[in-house]
Amino acid sequence: MQAATTSDRSPDAEPAPFALVARVGNALRLASVDRIACRQGLAAGMTLADARARCPTLVTHPADPPADARELDRLLEAMRHFTPMVALDAPDGLILDISGCTHLFGGAQALARQARAMAGYASRPGFGTNAMAARALARHGRADGDIHALPVMALDLDDGALAALRRAGLRSIGDLARRPMGMIAARFGEQAVTRLRQILGEAPSPIAPRRPSAPIRAEARFPEPIARTEDVMDVIEDLLGQAARQMEARKLGGRRFVIRLLRSDGARQGLAIETGQPVRDPAAVLRLLRERIDTMADPLDPGFGFDAVLLAVPRVEPLVERQQAMEGEEARAGEESIVALIDRLGIRLGPDKVRRLQPRDRHIPEGAQAFIPATQAKAHPWPASPDHAPRPLLLFDPPQPVAVIAGVPDGPPQRFRWRDQLHEVRLAEGPERIAAEWWRRRDGHQPGGAGRTRDYYRIEDKDGRRYWMFRHGLFGEETDIGWYLHGLFA
Amino acid sequence: MAVRVPIYGTGPSGRQAPATQASFRALEQGHLHEVHCTAPDRAAALAFALSHGASQAVSQGMGAQAGAIFALRATRRQRLPTLFSGDGLALLGIDPGRLTLVETGSEVEMLRAGLEAARCPGVSMVLMESEGRFADYDLTASRRLVLAAEASGVTILLLRGDAEQRSSGAQTRWSIRSAPSVPLEADAPGLPAVEAELLRCRSGPAGGRWLLSWDAEHGCFRDRDAGERDGRPYVPGAVVPFSRLRTDAGSDNQRQVA
Repeated sequence: MQAATTSDRSPDAEPAPFALVARVGNALRLASVDRIACRQGLAAGMTLADARARCPTLVTHPADPPADARELDRLLEAMRHFTPMVALDAPDGLILDISGCTHLFGGAQALARQARAMAGYASRPGFGTNAMAARALARHGRADGDIHALPVMALDLDDGALAALRRAGLRSIGDLARRPMGMIAARFGEQAVTRLRQILGEAPSPIAPRRPSAPIRAEARFPEPIARTEDVMDVIEDLLGQAARQMEARKLGGRRFVIRLLRSDGARQGLAIETGQPVRDPAAVLRLLRERIDTMADPLDPGFGFDAVLLAVPRVEPLVERQQAMEGEEARAGEESIVALIDRLGIRLGPDKVRRLQPRDRHIPEGAQAFIPATQAKAHPWPASPDHAPRPLLLFDPPQPVAVIAGVPDGPPQRFRWRDQLHEVRLAEGPERIAAEWWRRRDGHQPGGAGRTRDYYRIEDKDGRRYWMFRHGLFGEETDIGWYLHGLFA
Repeated sequence: MAVRVPIYGTGPSGRQAPATQASFRALEQGHLHEVHCTAPDRAAALAFALSHGASQAVSQGMGAQAGAIFALRATRRQRLPTLFSGDGLALLGIDPGRLTLVETGSEVEMLRAGLEAARCPGVSMVLMESEGRFADYDLTASRRLVLAAEASGVTILLLRGDAEQRSSGAQTRWSIRSAPSVPLEADAPGLPAVEAELLRCRSGPAGGRWLLSWDAEHGCFRDRDAGERDGRPYVPGAVVPFSRLRTDAGSDNQRQVA
């Protein structure tokens, strides 16, 4: 027996009608609707304007097919709880082969109930003796599960063939099944016959279940406990070699390696490292492990010795063996050595201590860039030739408050006191006005809710040092207006 | 001018020599250099150090990825909390993506990490920032850095803020100060300008002093007066033309043994 489940993309707990919209051609159309919206007469394919006219309370969200596919993948993995044979029925269905599994869950209906509860989405189950029948029942069937009552839509033919079927007065699978197959093939194409025979169970309809990939692991158990750290490292190196062979056969490299040491008195110790690039070279991993052991507050405590060592590689990524290049080899070796260096420093100092700069699409100066751990950073080109005034080389975080004497209230400063030192301003340029990001605040669109505007000045003092200062707030709108030093120019 | 002329020059040396027009690499690749500055001049010193390291990597035709710069600092020792600004770096001709920032807990860790980075062949520059005494930086430590730099060809720059000079194995020792810039229209602050003093040079006389200002056209620091004085066309690249403002040629030979 087979069971197919189609799931709506919307959580069914939503009280208001909900729909996902996608741009088709020049119009926004509903891509999918939830149960409440369906009851109010909305359907996928309707334009958003029509839907809004029928149902003004409609809540919409842009459709995101890649995210749907990822979620369906997650559901597929979750369905392994019920059966090892789960196949994808893109874009929104799963086919479970539940032969021989139902008794574990109290029958097919109970299994479907549990599976739907686990999925957590509005879904339609369908049961059939073969995959195509179950699929057709789930997508087009009624509650009684009668195959012969299914509409001809269930054959998934193109529009022309469906129209021809309807014109011929054939409305259900049962109508079609009573006609001779030769006639159907001649008039509606061979595919119609194949589909029909599959749904009726006369032709096989195999499914392609996705096999779970075997985890990469290796373990060593000892007749006598071992205690010396060097011996343990030798064993780990051996295990890493085994894991490397497994990964090589599947063209994978590990991003995370976890080692568990089982002590003879039952205590367990864990070691875990992460790498910036997929690796499988045992020597490289062992170097990182040694780094990790060196930085641990209490080193490996063998007690009465370790009984067993387990190695697992929970995170893997594709790693293809690269051919030795004749040219550019030096540059590539350099790049690899930098990645290894970043890994090593990240493990010794902590991954958030080795960082790279990445641009952000914000215009508040401190928000326009972010420091990302170097192992996660991607090579982003820095936005070229910005149209604003020059920015300083160093930014203060947080900005330093300064006391300022300005000639006119909204003019540049004439002298300022910073860290108990008086600076006379020689040259000044500005202001460059940077408004607060009102769209990020809850009441940002209300007057005064956006936060304060900053007026930036580039300033050079008598000693030839260049500063970036800003006045926090506008005269006439705020009362206590402060000055801050935000950066140092070269 | 693209030929590298050592600071001595090949011609006659001393006050009369045309060494005033001699040009040389301010911060030679594959060596250790020290840059002294006071805390408020840190931005100027960093700009001087970074712009030289950057122009060298580009002149050698390295890709953007290969010319990696590692900037290390010991967090605990920082008096003023500052961050690098990517836009500011881009203005100095440095792609911020080349920069990797490393923060260490102590100065010993910083030296160790810096040494490791210096041994890495893909790195083009290691920049270490320290403030104050930096007791762990002794002759042994500096010699280690020198050997690593010579072996791998990485330029190591040690920025020492508010510190006394200490004998070390460094190739050059500079003192950098911010200099008044040439104002733009409407009394706006001009392009970056620094005053560089060569305190010590291993293979030449020390004591030169240059007023450098940023050349936005070629993307490097250049001597503010040199262009007018020589009338020679400027060749962009690793070689920064320097001419001396002041030399005390009489004591050159003594001063080079620092």
